[in-house]
Amino acid sequence: MDQLGNLLEGFSVALTPMNLVFLVIGAILGTAVGVLPGLGSAMAVALLLPVTFSLDPTGAFIMFASIYFGGLFGDSTSGILLNTPGNSSAIATSFEGHRMAKDGRAAKALGTAAIGAFMGGMIATTLVVFFSPYLVRLATLFGPAEYFALAAFAFVAISAVVAESVVRGLIALGIGLSLAMVGIDGQSGAARFTLGNPEFFDGISIIVVTVGLLAMGEVLHVASRIHREGSAMQIQTSGSPYLTWREFKQVLPAFMRGTAFGLPFGAIPVGGSEVPTFLAYGTEKRLAKRRGDSMFGGRGAIQGVAGPEAAGNATAGSAMGALLALGLPTSATAAMMLAAFQQYGMQPGPLLFERSADLVWPLLASLFVGLIILLVINLPFASVWAKLLLVPKHYLYAGVAVFSVFGVYAIASSMKDLWLLIAIGVLGFVMRRFEIPVAPVLIAAILGPLAETELRRALAVSEGDLGILVASPISVSLYAIMALAILISIVQHLRHRKAAAL
Amino acid sequence: MTDSERREDKFHPPAGASPATTDARVSASEAVSPTPSWLAGRGELVVAAMTLGIAVFLTVGIVTMDVPEGAGSPGPTFFPIIVAGLLYVLAVLLAVQVVRAPRPVDGDSNSSRVGVSTDLLNDVGDIDTTSEIRVIRSTVNPKTTSKIGLTDWKTTGIVLASVIIFVLILQPIGWLLAAAALFWALAWALGSTRPLFDIGVSLIFSSCMQLAFSAGLGLTLPSGILTGVFSWIN
Repeated sequence: MDQLGNLLEGFSVALTPMNLVFLVIGAILGTAVGVLPGLGSAMAVALLLPVTFSLDPTGAFIMFASIYFGGLFGDSTSGILLNTPGNSSAIATSFEGHRMAKDGRAAKALGTAAIGAFMGGMIATTLVVFFSPYLVRLATLFGPAEYFALAAFAFVAISAVVAESVVRGLIALGIGLSLAMVGIDGQSGAARFTLGNPEFFDGISIIVVTVGLLAMGEVLHVASRIHREGSAMQIQTSGSPYLTWREFKQVLPAFMRGTAFGLPFGAIPVGGSEVPTFLAYGTEKRLAKRRGDSMFGGRGAIQGVAGPEAAGNATAGSAMGALLALGLPTSATAAMMLAAFQQYGMQPGPLLFERSADLVWPLLASLFVGLIILLVINLPFASVWAKLLLVPKHYLYAGVAVFSVFGVYAIASSMKDLWLLIAIGVLGFVMRRFEIPVAPVLIAAILGPLAETELRRALAVSEGDLGILVASPISVSLYAIMALAILISIVQHLRHRKAAAL
Repeated sequence: MTDSERREDKFHPPAGASPATTDARVSASEAVSPTPSWLAGRGELVVAAMTLGIAVFLTVGIVTMDVPEGAGSPGPTFFPIIVAGLLYVLAVLLAVQVVRAPRPVDGDSNSSRVGVSTDLLNDVGDIDTTSEIRVIRSTVNPKTTSKIGLTDWKTTGIVLASVIIFVLILQPIGWLLAAAALFWALAWALGSTRPLFDIGVSLIFSSCMQLAFSAGLGLTLPSGILTGVFSWIN
């Protein structure tokens, strides 16, 4: 098989000493930021993204991928021990994980989480390797109208279908699209919304947007809360992180079920792993009820940690596949990854596997190596990482702020970017304050230009006839799935409204 | 039941159901003054105004745009017109929603992190309102219980001002001192009680970054007034 040969070649690049060093550094940094209380994998990627830009592309992506997965490994630690999940993807893990920790089985919960993350990631990455050529083949059938349908699907899914409030989700989407329109229009050469200032001709860097919304916005949000909220109680880790053979046999099906939930969701743009992790959690909960398991919901059951954690990392793994093969970012973190590719002048999608095979295959190979390294540095040393939870909050967020101004300045040594960072940070703060989701902003900012270009290209070909948008089976089925999703979401909203009215 | 009450129920079990968890929003509603102002729960009008502002900015930009000759038809204003139209509609819809059903948001650090519909997550996760969601709420600082739902403008303002000052002084005085000053100011604003010790911490932090990234990775950081001192590094 082609894939196997390519992958082996990828391993030969990923295993060179220099790349291994990047891999280990990325894994350590990612885990560290993920473990730090309140910071999660999304923040890890946002803060460390600019740092990787000074490396060569292969090294940068290898390091970047291990930061991402490292963040995912670390996320659950603060959720389990402090009950403050670093990322929303770790919430479902925290439910049972924190119960186990309170029951004196913190180490076991952390160990289960690490193994779950490893298995979910491993299976997902393996499938990505073997299925991506088919995805690429599918993507070559895509023309302008189909790409526009894909982007529209992503916009609607993330802002309307899964959002708490449709209006607020769409506002976030509109803000993202507006940010993306600033700069020279590639097709006509017109300067748009630049106020005549040449500094804006290149547009607003997506990295400034991400760091502003996720990091600077978070610092301001923490400032608005820190003297209001008490500190969370940390539970000491004790016991052995390793699972006994009997326990392993118990949780293995939970790992598999979680992975099965996570895999498809990586390829659907619903904002990341909240939905699959909750699905996995709900399934384990129902199964425990059927078994008559009193641990679940009481003292904490390992299945409740295993399922969601495997689901979370499986989502991340297949999201990587969707990103590389289709160029479709399905979560905020994947959107940042796409921004990183663009920074190096590469456009993920079908052409990436052809033109940049020397980068894609080492990247995929490094995911395997990275997961093994992460398991090794996480499983036995979970209680060592937990020491990071002791970093006082005031130093932590002072550090985050310094890191974000540093990262933004490092992109282009531009003062304009720093002022933009502050403005977008204030925007992020306002959005956090009113619980407006930020993921649609990021997805819109990154996919906006694609959607616009493809829409105009399609309409130019058809000379303004809107019919071209629904002229192919692919785009029709994408719109059909979208309509179905909207319908389900309406039914669900109505049901809850009815339930609340009773 | 109004929308806001429903929301509250979703996150919060009836009082007494969970003695172990301090419930931020309940204390917030207790703390509201006897005659709450009309604006209570309607602060989100700021967002509607902001959305409207962006829409107006886009409109002005569209009207004044120099469209080069020979630009194809759908031209450069085509997409912005759609986005601006969408934003006008959304700004009005949000304003109407907020005026009709005020939404008290307590800004809890943990619950506001979730960007996904809680209804949806409750459904797929088989979650009942009494058990899981509440476990991820933050605790309340006993000293400021009465203000839990309110934004701490003083600290936020100090942090924002510190970042602005950092940007202003970065080039004149250089990364090392400016970043140390930023770190120190933020640590102090966020509750550090050892300002003298912090001076050391911030200087070590900013010089480590300078060393790692400037000397190690070759990124250029402004050296400012310390130019001479740094010449040996670069």
